[in-house]
Amino acid sequence: MNAEVIIVGGGIIGCAAAYNLAKNGVSVLVLEGSEHIGNGGSTRNGGGVRQSGRDPRELPLIMYAIQHIWPHLSDMLDTNVEYYQEGNLRLGSTPKHQKILEGLTERAAACGLDVRMISGDAARRINPYLSDAVTCASWCPTDGHANPLMATMGYYKMARRLGAHFISGEKVVELRKIKGAVRQVITDSGNVYEGDKVILAAGYESRFLASTVGIDVPMQPVLLETLVTEAVAPMFWQMLGTADADFYGHQTEHGSFVFGLNSGLEPYAKPGRPVSSSIAASAACRGIMHYFPSLADIKVVRTWAGWMDSCADHVPVISNVEEVPGLILACGFTGHGFGIAPAVGLVLSQLAMGQETAVDLSSLRYDRFTK
Amino acid sequence: MKRYDMIVVGAGPAGLSAAIEAAKHGLQVVVYDENARPGGQLFKQIHKFFGSKEHKAKIRGFHIGEELLAEAAALGVTVVLNAIVIGIFPEKEVTVKVEDRVEHIKGDTILIATGASENMVTFPGWTLPGVIGAGAAQTMMNLHGTMPGKRVLMLGSGNVGLVVSFQLMQAGCEVVALADAAPRVGGYGVHAAKVARCGVPFYLSHTIVSAEGTDCVTGVTIGQVDQNWQIIPGTEKHFDVDTICLAVGLSPMSKLCDMAGCEMEDNPAKAGFVPKVNEYGETSVSGIYAAGDVSGIEEASSAMIEGRIAGIAAAAKLGYLSEEACQKEIAIQEAALDGLRQGMFAPGMRGKQITETEEGVAISQNLLQHGFVAEEEIVRFPGVTHQKGVHPVIECTQNIPCNPCQDACPKHCIRIGSNITALPSIDAEKQCTGCGMCVASCSGQAIFLVDEDCGDGTAEITLPYEFLPLPQTGEKGVALGRNGKPVCEAEIVKVRSAKAFDHTNLLTMKVAKEFAMQARFFQKGESV
Amino acid sequence: MNDRNRALKPFVPQPDDDLIVCRCEEITKGEIRRAVHDGMFTLTEIRRYLRTGMGLCQGQTCTKLVKSIVARELGVRPNELGPATGRAPMRPIAMRTLAQDKEETK
Repeated sequence: MNAEVIIVGGGIIGCAAAYNLAKNGVSVLVLEGSEHIGNGGSTRNGGGVRQSGRDPRELPLIMYAIQHIWPHLSDMLDTNVEYYQEGNLRLGSTPKHQKILEGLTERAAACGLDVRMISGDAARRINPYLSDAVTCASWCPTDGHANPLMATMGYYKMARRLGAHFISGEKVVELRKIKGAVRQVITDSGNVYEGDKVILAAGYESRFLASTVGIDVPMQPVLLETLVTEAVAPMFWQMLGTADADFYGHQTEHGSFVFGLNSGLEPYAKPGRPVSSSIAASAACRGIMHYFPSLADIKVVRTWAGWMDSCADHVPVISNVEEVPGLILACGFTGHGFGIAPAVGLVLSQLAMGQETAVDLSSLRYDRFTK
Repeated sequence: MKRYDMIVVGAGPAGLSAAIEAAKHGLQVVVYDENARPGGQLFKQIHKFFGSKEHKAKIRGFHIGEELLAEAAALGVTVVLNAIVIGIFPEKEVTVKVEDRVEHIKGDTILIATGASENMVTFPGWTLPGVIGAGAAQTMMNLHGTMPGKRVLMLGSGNVGLVVSFQLMQAGCEVVALADAAPRVGGYGVHAAKVARCGVPFYLSHTIVSAEGTDCVTGVTIGQVDQNWQIIPGTEKHFDVDTICLAVGLSPMSKLCDMAGCEMEDNPAKAGFVPKVNEYGETSVSGIYAAGDVSGIEEASSAMIEGRIAGIAAAAKLGYLSEEACQKEIAIQEAALDGLRQGMFAPGMRGKQITETEEGVAISQNLLQHGFVAEEEIVRFPGVTHQKGVHPVIECTQNIPCNPCQDACPKHCIRIGSNITALPSIDAEKQCTGCGMCVASCSGQAIFLVDEDCGDGTAEITLPYEFLPLPQTGEKGVALGRNGKPVCEAEIVKVRSAKAFDHTNLLTMKVAKEFAMQARFFQKGESV
Repeated sequence: MNDRNRALKPFVPQPDDDLIVCRCEEITKGEIRRAVHDGMFTLTEIRRYLRTGMGLCQGQTCTKLVKSIVARELGVRPNELGPATGRAPMRPIAMRTLAQDKEETK
């Protein structure tokens, strides 16, 4: 089976790239190794669409997405992606927290982002459910959140509607060069697919696959955990985080709260199936109740875990690989790929079509680690 | 972290049995159950169990539960109630909610015996209050002493639907009809027969078209289905009811197994998503076992044996029992399990249509289609004979693993033999004394004592009776046939209750002698 | 291998499409059928897209029902569809309670 572009990985990055390519009339084949579309971090993350706290190298992508794509994404995808741009509060309750937040704020403000330090009382005026323990916060009014499941499945749905071809349960095991350029994609069932361009967007698996054509992206898998509560009446719409990063999250349009967790043991998770730890949800609940005592009686209905592809310098590789013509890398998103995904999908399609990208990607090149 | 040799999740028949076997061999065992009372479904099961002595046959379910609990307590098993196991994590760590906190504990072995949940079917109105699972109805009646409603339609003719229909009537509800989309009764014929003779009409090949009502159920319409399960227009029948009971199967509640990383399979023969287990009930995760409905829907008797096997295997795994002794003990349990898995309703027989018994007697088609054996059919079964004087008439027409009647008769009138599923037959050489032990021993309430000719133009029929209030000697009423329809006038001449009968009362009614082989139930009140 | 471009029979509205199947999240039969035609071919994808089985009962009531609807729409047997993952907590649990998991908090 042939296509102009083969995308390895049916997560939100692969689906968004497929959508943008299909919209431009490019034939696309997406190969997903697991049984389900969006089975990795795409549908397991906390849903943040935020600029604050980002590495400056990633800021252009997220700012582009927030200015040009997120506000229209529900219409574009014929899917309610539940995007809310109601600001991000990063909370602190100690002098040490204040220092951490001030550092983050300064760096982001230097990049032109509207983010500032506010007092505990000012934070409580924004979110009256905050406890008195909050003494300071950073506030970025243009941040927000969306529903990662709807956004991922929405991109998939619309890409498929526009003619992109998806095959799941088809695990790619090798990329193969033909006469100097990447051309063949070989799967564990022995199928060989051919394309003019190959976009590698397979999370941590990308490392192994890139190595089959002699490229290494230094990254490692790190576990992240998340919980969701029962639905309750709407309380607030801001995205939340803390200086200690002991939890982050928001209330969804559905009414449930989604919180990302942090037990501190995540980097040491055993390889294999991502498994929630027995302590992370409890620890997060203590943190959440410290800042939001009124959530104490809300019931947790589900917890889950997922792997992120943590890159050596904590920002992704989104890049043509000139020394391996035809190969485009999109991996190493380090747990913050969701918010930028609409912009990444766009620039990947532009790379594949040989167009100028909407955002300068020079600081996200694959060869930055060896230079 | 607190650590036990064995953590058992679920204090039902499988869990308690495993805990008992494990504790017997010296394991330190804790059992958690999310309910306020232990025993799982056993404490709702007020009927007598089938099987043979080793399976606790003719003992009522809740008594079996009490026995298991007492045995577990005597062996030092800790049973923690209102304790919800919320997760199983790597290294066999279990988190359990007890009161207002979460405890972390580890087990060297874990037995998951979480049982099953009830299936639902959808139809317009299925979300109305008043549409409930049959198991929920049983919980309301038998644990909480509450009637689920006054007028009930039961959907489902498997053993759960049949048993709960009978219990609803015992609780004082009126069961207006029993419907099933299948063309044949799914449960034991004896269970169907005892419901049918109380006057409940059976509608096979029928399903619910809709439930009516705005705030709660006020009525139900059923209709006949064609071969594609579509309602045939014009066959709709309406009933005024306040309750619709659904007994449409169970699904293994296997989420904890999945969470623990056990390899799972979706196996229709086991009624759903179950962990793959070896012959000892051990899952793909070494030291994690599953027993009872969670590893495949069967019934309480087999769950108890599966639990025992897992308990023994865990004891051997942890070195409390030699491999040799383990094999010996398990062989005994497996023989008992094989005994239960025989006959027409054995797990291997699911979906197969049986036309005749092991003895070569044609199956009663009327029983399968209407819930009762027709008069012309009943005579061909070996338990039904004509004799002078009082004698047992055993209306047991299907091969099920059950034999208490054989042992109950002090005069050895009843023969089943070593094949536990054989139909009981009458030894005409032996003299029945009319003691009634066989009547009370029959878990299917299928044995009657009949004196076909008392000499004065009347006959006397002694029948099992488990309703209140108990009729009084001298009380007049109507004898009902196997189909629940009135056949003639009847007068109660004897009422016997005895400890040995275990709450099965023996009513003896006098009818005109020509009705001796028709009259099978007594209804109080006006004459025919 | 699951080719998402394989042809399904066209979506035909059915009279009982407004029947609620997942009670916790109030998802109808029609929404589930429509989702299959939108490409949601596995129970997990249906859950992610519609929230079926993701409410308070975590699918204890509706999983089999949803499965049979999806299977019929795809023209496969329900047990070919594969599982929907079970996750902790086994039963909903208040944050207040979940937070109390330290020995010294007893």
